[in-house]
Amino acid sequence: MIDASAGAVSRPIARRRGRSRAAWRRRGLVLLLMGPWLAGFTIFFAYPIVWNAYLSFTHYNLLSPPKWIGLANYRYMLHDDPQMWPAVRNTLWLIAVLVPLQVVFALGVALMLARARAGVGVFRTIFYLPALAPPVAATLGFVYILNPATGPVNIILGHLGIHGPLWFQSPAWAKPSLVILGLWGIGNTMIIFLAAVLDVPRHLYESAELDGAGPFQRLRWVTLPTISPVILFSVVLGVIQALQYFTQAYVAANIASGQADQAGDTLNHLGYPLDSTLFYPVLIYQHGFAYFNMGYAAALAMVLLVVAFAVTLVIVLNSRRWVHYSGAVR
Amino acid sequence: MTTVAVARPVERRKLPPQVRRRRFLMVVANYSFLIAVAIAFLAPIGFIALTSLMTTNQALSPELWPHPFRWSNYLDVFRTAPIWRWTLNTMMYSGLATLGLLLSSIPVAYALSRLRWRGREIAFMIVLVALMLPPQVSVVPLYATWSKFHPFGFHFVGTLWPVIIPNWLGDAFSIFLLRQFFLTIPEEYLDAARVDGCGELRILTTVVTRLAKPAIAAVALFSFLYTFNDFFLPLLYTNENPHNWPLQIGLSQFRSLHQVQWNLTMAATLLVMAPVVVLFFLAQKAFVEGVTLTGVKG
Amino acid sequence: MRRWTGIVLATLAVGATAMGAAAQTSSKAGPSAAAAPAKITIWVGWSARELKEFKGVVSEYDAKHSDVQVKVVGSINDTKITNAIRSGNPPDVVSSFTSANVGIYCGTGAWIDLAPFLKKDHISLSQFPKTSLYYTQFKGKRCALPLLADSYGLYYNKTLFAKAGIKAPPKTFSQLLADAKKLTQRSGNKLDVVGYDPFWGFYSGNVADMTNYAPLIAGKYLDSKGKSILSKQFAWSKLLRWQKSFVDYYGYDNLVRFQANADEFSASNLFERGKIAMLMDGEWRVAFLKAEHPELKYATAPMPVDDAHAGLYGAGSVNGTIIGIPKGGKNVDQAWALVKYLTTNNHALARFSNGIRNVPSTRSSAKSKELKPDPRFATFIKIFNNKSSLTAPITAAGNANLSLISQFTVKYQAGKVKNLHSALKTLDKQIDAQNAQAGGGGPP
Repeated sequence: MIDASAGAVSRPIARRRGRSRAAWRRRGLVLLLMGPWLAGFTIFFAYPIVWNAYLSFTHYNLLSPPKWIGLANYRYMLHDDPQMWPAVRNTLWLIAVLVPLQVVFALGVALMLARARAGVGVFRTIFYLPALAPPVAATLGFVYILNPATGPVNIILGHLGIHGPLWFQSPAWAKPSLVILGLWGIGNTMIIFLAAVLDVPRHLYESAELDGAGPFQRLRWVTLPTISPVILFSVVLGVIQALQYFTQAYVAANIASGQADQAGDTLNHLGYPLDSTLFYPVLIYQHGFAYFNMGYAAALAMVLLVVAFAVTLVIVLNSRRWVHYSGAVR
Repeated sequence: MTTVAVARPVERRKLPPQVRRRRFLMVVANYSFLIAVAIAFLAPIGFIALTSLMTTNQALSPELWPHPFRWSNYLDVFRTAPIWRWTLNTMMYSGLATLGLLLSSIPVAYALSRLRWRGREIAFMIVLVALMLPPQVSVVPLYATWSKFHPFGFHFVGTLWPVIIPNWLGDAFSIFLLRQFFLTIPEEYLDAARVDGCGELRILTTVVTRLAKPAIAAVALFSFLYTFNDFFLPLLYTNENPHNWPLQIGLSQFRSLHQVQWNLTMAATLLVMAPVVVLFFLAQKAFVEGVTLTGVKG
Repeated sequence: MRRWTGIVLATLAVGATAMGAAAQTSSKAGPSAAAAPAKITIWVGWSARELKEFKGVVSEYDAKHSDVQVKVVGSINDTKITNAIRSGNPPDVVSSFTSANVGIYCGTGAWIDLAPFLKKDHISLSQFPKTSLYYTQFKGKRCALPLLADSYGLYYNKTLFAKAGIKAPPKTFSQLLADAKKLTQRSGNKLDVVGYDPFWGFYSGNVADMTNYAPLIAGKYLDSKGKSILSKQFAWSKLLRWQKSFVDYYGYDNLVRFQANADEFSASNLFERGKIAMLMDGEWRVAFLKAEHPELKYATAPMPVDDAHAGLYGAGSVNGTIIGIPKGGKNVDQAWALVKYLTTNNHALARFSNGIRNVPSTRSSAKSKELKPDPRFATFIKIFNNKSSLTAPITAAGNANLSLISQFTVKYQAGKVKNLHSALKTLDKQIDAQNAQAGGGGPP
């Protein structure tokens, strides 16, 4: 073994200089690799959010420069805008109804699929494919199918003696129609649940069986607790998607309201019928890009930012619990 | 002294008939549920397909079965709307966005997973935050900026460029997926390359990229899907310029351009769904890889 | 690595050229060299058959002016117009069906002031009818000119009338309701034929902002100070209540189902198919009927009026297409030349009026010998010239006021409003707030 003691005195300085050069090189490398993202994040994320905060205190219609009006936008939003609270309620409805239904339905299908032996591949494909369908196409299809007079669903219901509801034409049924559309597309969630359910270690089931647990008890005490992180993850992901829900509501409202874009129609189609499909992101779009009240839209967006950020914090701070690490360089 | 136990064939105790019957009923119930759900999932496609083969008047009537089958509807769709133009726009968008996204996200994911530096965890959290915030929080200022920015008279608003360009500076979801994958690469591979004298950049471009081919394929696939289905941002930027509409915008406007020709609209709907389905069957492995890459585990 | 670079560069090159080519065609055409004709673009709201007629008129202009080439883009709505102006990339000439938005267009300067051009070319405004002059300016600033006008009247199906034994079209609201009941046919709960469909939002006649009914009830939206008086004038709540009972007679759900699949501007129009016996519609329907359902036996008359204002019979709602030059357009002089031709040239107006059956918008073109007479169309010219005919009010908020009213009336019709009077008071306040802040800055 080389005797290192002789060089021990002179080594430290050289080693320090060498280490700092290596450290500088590494920092340079990190900057180089992270560079594009840093630039993108600043330009397309951080800067717009800051600018959005400023715009929320102005009146801005893109034709003339922004005009400072202080808290007037927020005051109008909270007190005078007749569509603001319906939009908030609609989005909350989505979170309270669509997200749990999607999770429960996806879980149910995954559990059934996990127990099947034959034809699993076929079923899995059938359940997964609609999730791939473009939202616009799926919405168009469903608006047609749920047409109250000539759509297949009401016709078949009519044959069964049931007087079908007005679906997308009725304020009471428009959101449930969107829920049905949402349930059609749970393929992604279902696949994740399926993988999680199949991953539950067999020995847990066996020991539960030995303790005399029936199938429902096994479900409740073994399966669900084991996959609970995945369930939680899906719920949170669902909430995030509900906070951005736009495409289906926009397309459904436009198509279901029936009239083509003709003849100077003064009725704004967004939220048809009667603001029942007016979700918060749709409201932002309406004020920002249909009415071009960009200052007010910015104010609405700030509120959304605060809510979404709170939800995001919940995930990010808990991400270690849900996301599996392996081989990480610690 | 060891005694050899005579191996007796394992006797499977026959379950009592009640248990067997109950188990059989549960299997039947299970499959009935699955079949019912499968029918419910296939029914919409069936109805859409049937309507796409009807005549215009029949599509407006309460009839369910086409009489006669008008296969020419699919040709009519191409004649009544500039489907090829829309498809070209979508392909441009998808191609350029996916390329840019891969080129810019791979280095970032590598830096976040295989290099040690201060602030790495915070940076990753910021990536996650950017991933989860709704796009609506930044659209107003971004649109305003793009609309005022016209160098050399080239107007970005009205084209898909404002939607494509951000992808060239990193995409949060791809960074996330790729990072998850890079975390699974055993350090030994990289150490072997380092010993051979490779600099970190060489390692990234040669070793890591080659190892990560399935992940890259999955990311490319997801990116294609996302851009193919994208509606909100293209709506904002190309709404008043039909020349630059991608497929989804064109499809959503199809009905208002051509009044209530539901048969053609449904045909167009199926045509727009088709590429995705085809892609799925061709690239199932990449799909599965992508899903597992999200790393969501029990 | 080299292979990668090659692929990357190739994709970029292809993508950039294709996108660039696409952008070229949509970006503005710059000022031309002496030889090449200037290219200008005009955006209009017409589509299909009507667009073809318009293109015919424009091609005549093109033929007469070799120094300019006009490109026509149809199916434009106001959102697209304002989008284009705001993004700094507008066409040279724009035309809109929503004359109510002239308050915004003139008020914000989105469409440029035409006064200097009118003065330079000595165009006299007296050739335009008074109402058309009203909806093409705001607070004295004229940023638009009328391009053909519209008036609304009653279309009725003579075959169905004969079958129900009705001799003459109704002249009052109560006659309208009675005739409608006689003409309605049901099978069980389903509506087969509807006598008159009063549903707010159904087709152009029933635009939910009530502008087409206002002249029939002598309703005024604003007082002399510009404040909203929907709750103060009894005529409005009377109309709303009457309309709601009319809808309830058919059954709200039944009407929705009945209306489910019948686009207004196609051959599946419910009146054209004989499923509705009476319809309030604009004068353009004459041309649509000729093109799509020439076999239908129908006649036209002025709309029935409120029983309390029977003397108003003969009046109707009046409106029109407006045309102007957006701010930021490049070829302003050529744009003005085209606008002048389209709005004042007798031949152009007569030809276009014959083609799409809209009312000619200047006094001289209304007397032109080129106009093809049509007794059913003549009704609308009379309605247009009736002195009690009204048009929608022009305000700083433009269309936004009317949108608010529309949202209210459909809610009331669905039975979601508890106290009509207090709800109308709230609506008045909201409209006043909108107008106060639209011009001066502030929330919507």
